[in-house]
Amino acid sequence: MFPNRESSTGPGHRRFRLGGLAVLLLGAGGTATAAAPVSGSVVRDLYYGETLFHFYQDEHFDALTHLLVARDSGRVGNHEAESELLLGGLYLHYGQHVRAEQIFSRLLQDSSEPMVRNRAWFYLGKVRYQRSLHAEALDAFDRVSGDLPAGLAAELPMLKAQAYMALGRFDAAVTLLDGWQGPEGWVAYARYNLGVALARLDRTEEAISQLDRLGRSPAATAELRDLRDKANLALGYIWLQQGRDSESRPVLSRVRLNGPFSAKALLGAGWADAATQDYRAALTPWLELRERDMLDSAVQESLLAIPYAWAKLDAHSEAAAGYQAALAAYDAEIARLDVAIAGSRSGQLVPAMLSADDARIGRWYWQLEELPDSVENRYLYDLVARHGFQEGLRNVRDLAALSANLDEWQSKLATFEEMVNTRRMAYGQREGRVAAGLDQAGIDGLQARRDALAAHLERVAQSRDVVGLATTEELDRWQRIEALGASPALKSEAAGDAGERYRLLKGVLAWDMDRDYQYRLWQQKRNLAQIDALLAKARSAHASGTAARQETPAGLDHFSARIASLGPRISRMQAALARDRSREEQRLQAMAIEALGEQRARLLSYRVQAQFALATIYDRAAAAARTAPAAEDAR
Amino acid sequence: MNRQNLNLCCTAILLGGALLARAAGAGELVAAAAVPVAAVAGVDTEMQALKDEVLDLNRELFMLEEELLFPANTQVAVFVSMDVGEFFALDSVQLKIDDKPISNYLYTERELQALLRGGVHRLYLGNLKTGEHELTAIFTGQGPHARDYRRGATLKVEKGVGAKFVELRISDRQSAQQPEFVVREWE
Repeated sequence: MFPNRESSTGPGHRRFRLGGLAVLLLGAGGTATAAAPVSGSVVRDLYYGETLFHFYQDEHFDALTHLLVARDSGRVGNHEAESELLLGGLYLHYGQHVRAEQIFSRLLQDSSEPMVRNRAWFYLGKVRYQRSLHAEALDAFDRVSGDLPAGLAAELPMLKAQAYMALGRFDAAVTLLDGWQGPEGWVAYARYNLGVALARLDRTEEAISQLDRLGRSPAATAELRDLRDKANLALGYIWLQQGRDSESRPVLSRVRLNGPFSAKALLGAGWADAATQDYRAALTPWLELRERDMLDSAVQESLLAIPYAWAKLDAHSEAAAGYQAALAAYDAEIARLDVAIAGSRSGQLVPAMLSADDARIGRWYWQLEELPDSVENRYLYDLVARHGFQEGLRNVRDLAALSANLDEWQSKLATFEEMVNTRRMAYGQREGRVAAGLDQAGIDGLQARRDALAAHLERVAQSRDVVGLATTEELDRWQRIEALGASPALKSEAAGDAGERYRLLKGVLAWDMDRDYQYRLWQQKRNLAQIDALLAKARSAHASGTAARQETPAGLDHFSARIASLGPRISRMQAALARDRSREEQRLQAMAIEALGEQRARLLSYRVQAQFALATIYDRAAAAARTAPAAEDAR
Repeated sequence: MNRQNLNLCCTAILLGGALLARAAGAGELVAAAAVPVAAVAGVDTEMQALKDEVLDLNRELFMLEEELLFPANTQVAVFVSMDVGEFFALDSVQLKIDDKPISNYLYTERELQALLRGGVHRLYLGNLKTGEHELTAIFTGQGPHARDYRRGATLKVEKGVGAKFVELRISDRQSAQQPEFVVREWE
């Protein structure tokens, strides 16, 4: 595992490969299965779907926030168990193990649905596994019975095997992995782990068989090619260890020259040749290594191996020169390391590492893949690739992102406060007008008029009073005819046929009104119903207006109180975030300084070996020089 | 320098493999830290508690913002969802309420994938007076045979006192081999 120094993605930054199986495993399995809801399930709550929209884009903080709000507002009632599982998964991958475990345990208590229970046991196991509670993790994994979504079903045996291996139960891991038929992408990792477990059980031949099979298999992706190289490297060294040097050499040759394991393979290949006393052949891979970057321990070791081979070939002056070159190289590297250690103590190490990071990118499976060029970083690729350091970096990044998020809220809060004040002012300005409007609405007066109309209609209907529904014109005529009828002149003889005409006119008018009576009665009843509806609306508007008038000040006060209480909370949280961030940065810095110190110690040890070997060569040369004149004198 | 050195190297490689295999979760990292394990565990617990508090605060702030800016009695939210998507590749959605454009959203590939996997996009969140309103959505993209495709869908909605949720759903009508655009109200 070391940085790939061939590729550079831009000025000032280097891309490196996290060439570890951990990373490979995460890449292969984690993303596809992490707390993912069952694919294809129908969304029955829009807000649950909205959470998924963020989740599927790896916007996990947004997904978590939306889900928390939706659950709080009762908007995901149709996805109770699923949203609970998703929430647990989101917490789990946000590093909130305690919360995640609470949720999965609660689900197991509450749900009797096998699918939900199985997934809950699975995730509970994963929580425990991530907390290194391997025995407890296995206990949870063993409770999964029956169906799991395909991705989880594939991940389960791998997690179990890794838990067994972490507990040193290599036999159980072997039992689980041997003959396991998983999805294509997982089989290579399973085989590698199986090889490792068998080697740990000293079942060397079987380990060799597994690693050899993996070492010969086609590899479609860069990750699988790295894994294949790693298998070949491990196999080559096992054979070297067993003295099977001729078998080791071709296996080590299978490791790609431009892969992350090539330096160790070249070193091993040299040792395989040296083991057969072919020191000249051994020099070929070792001299190739000498040209490479001194950061790699294999390259550092090759500086000792080369003069060792020259010495074996009796080329003592080349050997002495080689050791001297090694000493110079080690000294130069130690001096650079000292500068790096001093630089790391400055407190800027972690901020500088994250300087090019985009915090908006989703957190899950985030890993730092580029390091800005600096003396310190040059030596820290190995450390940065380690899971522990990455986890620490993630924490720093999370804390920074949360702090930025709170900064945004802080400025928004000021706007909210202004908004509430503006509303309060507007309310104050309108309150008098609104109150007058409400007081003068006169709904009761309108109601009384409506009731009088209804009573009139009732009377008309009961007595079939056709005149009661007459138009203004008809009523006018009717009243005039009635007045005529009441005149004594109409009954006098001088009136002639006027009486007859009076009756005729009255009859025609009565006939007309009677003809339209039913229609008019229906029409008036309809009008009355419309008045009722309008009055109801007016009453409702009046009631809501009155309520708003009474409630608005309280509502605004409520908002003001919430804003006032949230402001100090944000400040408190910001202080806590800054404190934890600083502590985490210091922890990472300590790790970095320790790693640099280890590298320094290794170089010092090589330096001692080189000095010792050089002294031996000089001693021999001096002894030879002493012997030669003596022999000459004797002659 | 001799064969004995190889033992170390070989063990390191195998051990490395085992540890790395273990590390798929979180395992050995704590041990690699420069501070004692117990101290790290304490920090982790504290860090979790702090994150939890910040998440909780964030949730409260989120709810305050929504209640303040979009009170329930005037709130209207419009969502976009997609089912299958075989006959239509969405580019953008334009939304109008009462003929007034209120949103014009262009989707990224990442967002489209999220929609196809079952995610629902909240296209618009705003306020609307009570009463009847006409909501129009215009979908633009590529239809069958990769032809440019533009379709509209309209719905009359009655905005009452509660929040109103509207879904713009794009689905495949297998029988007609055409996409289908539906606007529907949610309770």
